Amino acid sequence: MRRFLLLLRNEFALFRTAIPAHAVAALQPAVLYLLMTTILVHPTFDMNMARPETVLGAELAAALEQVGSPVGEPYVRLAMVDWDGGTVDRQVIRVEALDGGSLARPVAVQHFGLIDSNLVKNFRNRLTTAALRLWDAELGPRSVTVEQHPWLPHDVPYNVYFGMAVLPMATFLAAAIIGAMLTAQEFEFRTVVEYRLAPATLGLILGGRLVRLALTALLSAGVVWLAVGLVTGVWPRDPWLVVLILLPVAVVAGCVGMTAALLLRRTIPAFLVGLVGAFAGWIVGGAFGLPSSFGATFERVSRLTPFAHAIELLFPRYFGDRSSASAVTIGSPVISALVLLLMAAGMVALTAMVYQRRVRRQE
Amino acid sequence: MRRFLILLRTEMLAWRHDPISVLGGFIPTLILLTALGLLFGGPLSFNIAVVNHDIGPYGAILRRTCGEVLSPFGTPYYAVSVLDEDRAWEAYRNHRLDGVWVIPADFSARLDAGDHPAVEMHFSNYNDDRAKNHRIYSAEILWRFYEEIGQPAPSLALAEAYPLSEMLEWFPVMAVGVALLSFMLGGMTNMFMLTQKEHVARVTLEFGLAPRSLAWVLLPKTLLALVMGLLTGTGFLGVIALWPGAWPGRFLPAVWLLAGLVILFWAPLALMVGLRARYFAGMIALILTGLTVFFVSGGLGLVRANWDAVPWFPRVFPNLYAVDPLRDLILFHAWPADWRAALVTLTGFAAAGLAVGWGLAARQLRRAG
Repeated sequence: MRRFLLLLRNEFALFRTAIPAHAVAALQPAVLYLLMTTILVHPTFDMNMARPETVLGAELAAALEQVGSPVGEPYVRLAMVDWDGGTVDRQVIRVEALDGGSLARPVAVQHFGLIDSNLVKNFRNRLTTAALRLWDAELGPRSVTVEQHPWLPHDVPYNVYFGMAVLPMATFLAAAIIGAMLTAQEFEFRTVVEYRLAPATLGLILGGRLVRLALTALLSAGVVWLAVGLVTGVWPRDPWLVVLILLPVAVVAGCVGMTAALLLRRTIPAFLVGLVGAFAGWIVGGAFGLPSSFGATFERVSRLTPFAHAIELLFPRYFGDRSSASAVTIGSPVISALVLLLMAAGMVALTAMVYQRRVRRQE
Repeated sequence: MRRFLILLRTEMLAWRHDPISVLGGFIPTLILLTALGLLFGGPLSFNIAVVNHDIGPYGAILRRTCGEVLSPFGTPYYAVSVLDEDRAWEAYRNHRLDGVWVIPADFSARLDAGDHPAVEMHFSNYNDDRAKNHRIYSAEILWRFYEEIGQPAPSLALAEAYPLSEMLEWFPVMAVGVALLSFMLGGMTNMFMLTQKEHVARVTLEFGLAPRSLAWVLLPKTLLALVMGLLTGTGFLGVIALWPGAWPGRFLPAVWLLAGLVILFWAPLALMVGLRARYFAGMIALILTGLTVFFVSGGLGLVRANWDAVPWFPRVFPNLYAVDPLRDLILFHAWPADWRAALVTLTGFAAAGLAVGWGLAARQLRRAG
């Protein structure tokens, strides 16, 4: 045990040889999350409307202000403007008479500036929703009611899912790139000779490095956990379980980084393997939404990564309270947990095998 | 001139020994483009099932309408899956469907009788933006449905007026922003990696001791960074020509001119980093700087439409002034209305970048020498 602790201490002391990689591992996922929160769409949109001159126009303005979620945010923040028909920046709605006729059958015309199709869709849908309220009122009992049955009792901001999905990415990135750099440096600085000559078992050496990588990876995930909590106010239930879910991800990633470095023996290519592996796996594994909603093929591919399994296991921790945890379960938690454990065990075995060949036998 | 050519050749040889610098402008931008494409570039229809129990005609019309109403993307708001009820609910529970609409058996009867007909819409709201879309898409469906079944027309009709004859898609708008980042990072990583290499090999010491103007050294370095940035960015334009399908065509020289001025602002700053930072720290600083500038300087949306909302800090970067003119050239194949102003502004930025970058680098080189 004493030798293991000494080895672990040495592993942590190697921090000084890879400070930039540690800085990236600790901060980059949190910075990415914070940057992305600025672009992830928020359901409330600013909409401009030319100051109405008719009763119908005023009714439309009132209807626009009512467009929103019954269990979430309003969808429109209305601004009344004086518009002379000149150039439009984003959009403006004006109630007009078609073809210069009378206002007997007025038209709500939405004038768009040079904006993209996604903004056009959002502005169009909101205006239609408001105008439909007026039409429904005219139809009375002949209007069709859409009874909404959302899955969760409250709409959850997208920042929560996205932040939750960044957790395994942060874990993977830290373990993979630091594992890759520390191991590749052993070859570049020729300190690998010391490992060859040391009377320590393979398990002790690999165990020391993996424990160090796992702890570093969990610290990196902790920074993201903090960022998500501070931005959204949502903190996961049972943090110890979150740690248990991320632990096999860290082991898999540490092994990926170490194996890449053992095979390539150079810092930059090994670092790139860790970096690309983290981002590619994360994107495929459900970075932006549950993989099942992207189609069967995407889902099958995503299940080859640890990310999809980790995200499914994390989901109830972020989206359900204690009473509704089973109702928000995604996929099969037992199978996901088993797959993560098997992936971790398989990668440890593979890394040990490669280490044996590249270091012990000096191939 | 001969001295200049010799130094340019030296830089070229140094690059040939380490051509990996090209990847610095390519890999991060490819990852970014892929992420943005997956998020915003695919078919954005929601997969739903419509369980129609209605024994009258209106349920079938509503079901058909769900799959017919087109969004501004040119695709239907809803892709309606043909599933029986049990399989529909199973798929919904497993998040393989975004929603399920249920039309009750008495829907037509109640509609005819004016007795408050209703349909159920089940949908996931773990992402509030998608939940919002379900709610506001349903209004588009009902609007068309009312028209289809001949409800009395509304007092207020709807219409739209656009500045262009065709719809401007969002993903290509972002892709051009990423292309500008690729130009920028391509130039910066080349300048940084070669300078850092020379710094480690103490070649910069020789530069500092040279009895000639340091412009002879800095000019070929900057020229090579400019060319490599343009090559990287042009390669990336080739990628976006394939996906999402935007290429400047005969406006390519104009794209090079604008992007080149942006590179000339950033490359001298990378030169300073190369003389000071260690390899990894420098690369990471460059890529994170590039990504931050991309996010804050109109990489994701049209700047002209949001000029009032642009905070002060992006205004000190040239990217903000280049990105929309580049979109005009690449997406619309049209000269930007503010072409002259953009050129003047970007030239000013390039001159400032060169003056500051070269000045500080020369000072550092002379001091070391």
